Amino acid sequence: MQNLCICALAVLSQHSFSAAGRLAVLCLLLTGTGGSTALAGLDVVPSEVVLEDSFARRQLLVESDGRDVTRTAEYSIADETVARVDETGHVVPVAAGTTVLTVSHQGTSATVPLRVSRFDGQRSVDFATQIMPLLSRLGCNSGGCHGKASGQNGFKLSLFGFDAAFDYDAIVSEARGRRVFAAAPGQSLLLQKATGASPHGGGKRLETGSENYRIFSRWIASGVPASAPDVPRVASLEVVPAERIMKRGVSRQLAVLAKYTDGSIRDVTRETQFSSNLDVVATVADDGLVTTGGSSGEAAIMARYMGEVSVFRVLVPHGSPLDSLPGFEPAGEIDRLTAARWMKLGLEPSPVCDDSTFIRRVTVDLCGRLPTTAEVESFLANSSPHRREELVDRLLDSPDYPAFFALRWGTILRNSRLAGADQAAYAFHNWLKDMIARNRPYDEFVRGIVAAAGEWQDAPAINWYWQMRDDQLHQVTADTAQVFLGIRLQCARCHHHPYERWGQADYYGLAGFFTRLGRKSFGQPPPYFASSRVTTGEKNPLTGKVPEPRFPDGEAVEFTPEDDPRHALVDWMAEPENPFFAKALVNRMWGHFFARGLVDEVDDLRETNPPSNPELLDWLAADFVAHKFDVRHVIRSIVTSRTYQLSSVPAETNQDDRQNFARYYARRLYAEVLLDGVDAACGTETKFSGISSSARAVDLPHEGFGSYFLDTFDRPRRVSGCECERSSGATLAQVLLLSNSQDIEGKVSSETGRIASLFKAETPTSAAVEQLYLAALSRRPTEAELQTAGKYIDESEKRRLALEDVLWSLLNTREFMFNH
Amino acid sequence: MLELTAPFDSSSRHRTCDGITRRTALRIGGLGVGGLSLPSLLRQQAAGSETPARGERKAVILVWLAGGPSHLDMYDLKPDAPVEIRGEFRPITTSVPGMHIGEHLPLQAQIADRLSIVRSAFHTNAGHGMGAQWMQTGWQPTIEVNDNIYPSIGSVTAKMVGAGDPGLPAYVNLPNPLGMGKAAYLGAQYNPFSPGSSPNSDSFEVRNLRLPGQVPEDRLRRRHGLLSSLDNIRRDVDTEGEIAGIDRFYRDAVEMVTSDKARKAFNIQAEDDNLREEYGRNDLGQSCLLARRLVEAGVTFVAIQAGGGWDTHGNNFTQLKDKLLPQYDRAVTALVKDLSDRGLADNVLVTSFGEFGRTPKINSGAGRDHWPGAMSVLYAGGGLKMGQVVGATNSTAEYPTKKAASPGCVLSTIYHVLGIDYRHAFYDHARRPLQILAEGRPIEDLI
Repeated sequence: MQNLCICALAVLSQHSFSAAGRLAVLCLLLTGTGGSTALAGLDVVPSEVVLEDSFARRQLLVESDGRDVTRTAEYSIADETVARVDETGHVVPVAAGTTVLTVSHQGTSATVPLRVSRFDGQRSVDFATQIMPLLSRLGCNSGGCHGKASGQNGFKLSLFGFDAAFDYDAIVSEARGRRVFAAAPGQSLLLQKATGASPHGGGKRLETGSENYRIFSRWIASGVPASAPDVPRVASLEVVPAERIMKRGVSRQLAVLAKYTDGSIRDVTRETQFSSNLDVVATVADDGLVTTGGSSGEAAIMARYMGEVSVFRVLVPHGSPLDSLPGFEPAGEIDRLTAARWMKLGLEPSPVCDDSTFIRRVTVDLCGRLPTTAEVESFLANSSPHRREELVDRLLDSPDYPAFFALRWGTILRNSRLAGADQAAYAFHNWLKDMIARNRPYDEFVRGIVAAAGEWQDAPAINWYWQMRDDQLHQVTADTAQVFLGIRLQCARCHHHPYERWGQADYYGLAGFFTRLGRKSFGQPPPYFASSRVTTGEKNPLTGKVPEPRFPDGEAVEFTPEDDPRHALVDWMAEPENPFFAKALVNRMWGHFFARGLVDEVDDLRETNPPSNPELLDWLAADFVAHKFDVRHVIRSIVTSRTYQLSSVPAETNQDDRQNFARYYARRLYAEVLLDGVDAACGTETKFSGISSSARAVDLPHEGFGSYFLDTFDRPRRVSGCECERSSGATLAQVLLLSNSQDIEGKVSSETGRIASLFKAETPTSAAVEQLYLAALSRRPTEAELQTAGKYIDESEKRRLALEDVLWSLLNTREFMFNH
Repeated sequence: MLELTAPFDSSSRHRTCDGITRRTALRIGGLGVGGLSLPSLLRQQAAGSETPARGERKAVILVWLAGGPSHLDMYDLKPDAPVEIRGEFRPITTSVPGMHIGEHLPLQAQIADRLSIVRSAFHTNAGHGMGAQWMQTGWQPTIEVNDNIYPSIGSVTAKMVGAGDPGLPAYVNLPNPLGMGKAAYLGAQYNPFSPGSSPNSDSFEVRNLRLPGQVPEDRLRRRHGLLSSLDNIRRDVDTEGEIAGIDRFYRDAVEMVTSDKARKAFNIQAEDDNLREEYGRNDLGQSCLLARRLVEAGVTFVAIQAGGGWDTHGNNFTQLKDKLLPQYDRAVTALVKDLSDRGLADNVLVTSFGEFGRTPKINSGAGRDHWPGAMSVLYAGGGLKMGQVVGATNSTAEYPTKKAASPGCVLSTIYHVLGIDYRHAFYDHARRPLQILAEGRPIEDLI
């Protein structure tokens, strides 16, 4: 009983909101995020410091006029035999008692009552709640060190400390017990290595005699006790404050409070691991001090402790907040929400782009092709105030929109011809095209894939399963999460997600929906069906049993043998209040049109990777749900917004903007679009073998059509559910191909091409240059360009070659290669 | 592309568990922060004086035996095993007492003091795609796909070291791109550069390096003049700095096409006919010779696809003795000798292996099937200790009995030669920080 009490005390008694304890030995205390004292202009959190154990700590936060002055304020404690405070505002107990803490800053001061309610210097250190966090904090169990699958030099810990029992055993029992030596803790290999006293590949991680050192050493001295099996776990984490606007080049202290399953709360600031998602905007030090850098924007500071995460969001404005944005007229809710963000950040948007830029941009983004010269000319001649909206509708109704989006979806749905799936890949591609052309609701689209069953002729989406057959349960689980829910869950297959709350239970819960998927033994792909029995040999390592279905972040479900659990999964996705499904789609679409998602990357939605404009993401998702998962509606809203139509040319205040879409972010044309664009500009065609001669690169149903051009520009091999497989990054081979190849030369000088016909028709120079500009860049040349190109042609001895040179030049401009 | 050594430490003063600071790691990588997104080739140019002196530069030539070479018939013969295992080849003595290799590698036997053989390499995947991915990346894939999930050793080298000369690519595949030789999440700019045809062909040339017939150099110059006056889009309209990066590629491409540095490096026709004969007038032999030219000129990693015939499910012995081994023996021997003749033995590591070994038991078609349980790896030069046999397999060459070497061990030995910290981590597509190698440490007897 004695032991148990001490053990429980170690965990429970640190801090608590609760007024009544469950154990008599616990003295409970009041602190936390609530309550601050504001005296003489200083705002101190907490308003009362209560430390109820020798291991309790408290980080003070001091603000003056909304500015953090924690590091510049001065602290004193009336009775230093009760507690001590350092210059960073970190309070440590010394003995039981009551006293007063005074904070002063530039002539003003505030006092805070301080009470050490219990001080038991002898109580033992708890392994799970005190030693494990230190192993994480010191980096011992990280993926680069002892946490990796093979361990490091024979010492292996669980990655990020997800398995306390394993780690306890590794430290206490392995290596013939040399790692811990109770009689002389300092001689323990664990401390010898960590302090660098004995050679350590990881260097010195711990200072001899430091507070953390003493915690290790006390734990070892007390005979390396294991934690009781029922020790309370961390239930949630809270960073204080949660959000602040900060100027460039200033600092602010954070505090981190852990709430345990028994309701108690503890300040874990000094045991937390911090990291910033955007170092150029803000960095964070070990002790929770956030410092903004020279760049404006927003950063999320992640605090991670014992598998729980919480985020402090910092916003560093580009300039002073603006009251209005002259010249920017919102066309709808999207624009109102982006504008609200810009005003808050002091960002002025670039002006709306001209018609030429718009028709090229929107045709590339919606249809994956360049507009024809006729389309450009007629659009430029159109004076209707609604011409942009009309163009969008015309493009959405054209067959090029489903063709291009079938390519986009087919890539992340792994629609490959591998393993005999040639015909099935065609069928799946056509199925995607058809669903998109008919604008079927997105939930129906997803159901056709996730719950696909039957022969490939009837249900071609089974190719999605077939392409993942080698590791089906895991790949399908990970792809379902990433593609349709925007959750990258694959980490949680083996360990708790390092940046999120997802754990193995979530992963195997989702996997549980796919354990009864049967497939026949004939056909490529073979027919798939919902089996009444379990068809996988995979086990949930937590239970040792076949994974059982549980909705992510939700309830467990049971099914009868007649049910196909996959339908229940899609039903759950399609519930209006589902927090992932709609957001994942609208964010993916936003990413498609803006070169960057509101959450970046587009399929990595998590608390620690917040959207750059949460209100906008929420609105888009709600609007998508309200419109019954109408994807075309979402797309139309996006491309008819003023925000989408902004110029890519930076204005003075938005030059640094890379998150808030105050200008259009140019990006390189996809491999397929670029090849088709070259052909369109040259008036030529590329033939692919084994498919209709009219098929363009964007029409190819799978990756198996040989093309040096497409491979050189890194066409995806369709081996991943991640958009990121379409990597950017130029190569020398690409530049050589565009600028110095017989391939391109052949197109430029083709007898049936644009140059040949301009030449044969004896087109006057200026008209010829204009045609080439319209074809390649979807705009008329400027006066200067007309002069330069015209002079080049007219002064040349060989007119046809000169025309070719102009076209070659246009194909090699960045303007051609980029959608801008 | 982000990279890091310490997954959760955002401040540069932190040390990783391997004891290197992030700053150091960046320096090792030859990178400044501003250079992260720049292609390796340009990065080296920017680094300028930081490029190691000529004499210290290390390079690697990997002879990739695609299909899986038969260890039992090349480097790990078992003359005492039953006939259905030992096969028809006999071991022969070599210039190193006690070191025996197969009778169809007689030339290598004469230079055995300049070779080391690791007999104890192994892994556990018998699929071509997965095995090849494992042996070229150090990571075991869980799914059979036709592309890299993890970056190949050549791509990692391109990123971490770059080219020794700004006018040349860092990483080349000969004669064609290897199956699993790509850069995956490191980014397309670290994919291999490949000439796209065989250097054994009389008309061999690098794709798109020579000016197209109708474009003489003066026309190309006029074009570039026109291009520079028409290419007016602002360079800051994207957010990744890619536009500016491409500009530099253009300058380099012009340089490559108009200067003859790269063309010279690839111009195998400039080699003496006798030497070309010595390497063997076939794809493998001429690729080895070209690889030597390339590393001399500044390429850091060359991987050679040594044919695809090593997958000897049928007629293993006939195929090996009539074609595969004579060509291979001749090419590798010529390469090793040529490199030492030029004083480059310690600077250039030649290594050869495939995705796995082959089954000890001979099948009914006189062939051997896939066997990842044991395989042999050849190393030559690079400053490693030569003239050794490292490790051993059991009496039937099924699995290692001594000094077992995982794929990570095989590759980390190569990284060791290149001076690359194989514990350095990159973010993959899921933003997991993955070390260059999942496991393994350099083979001790070799270093």
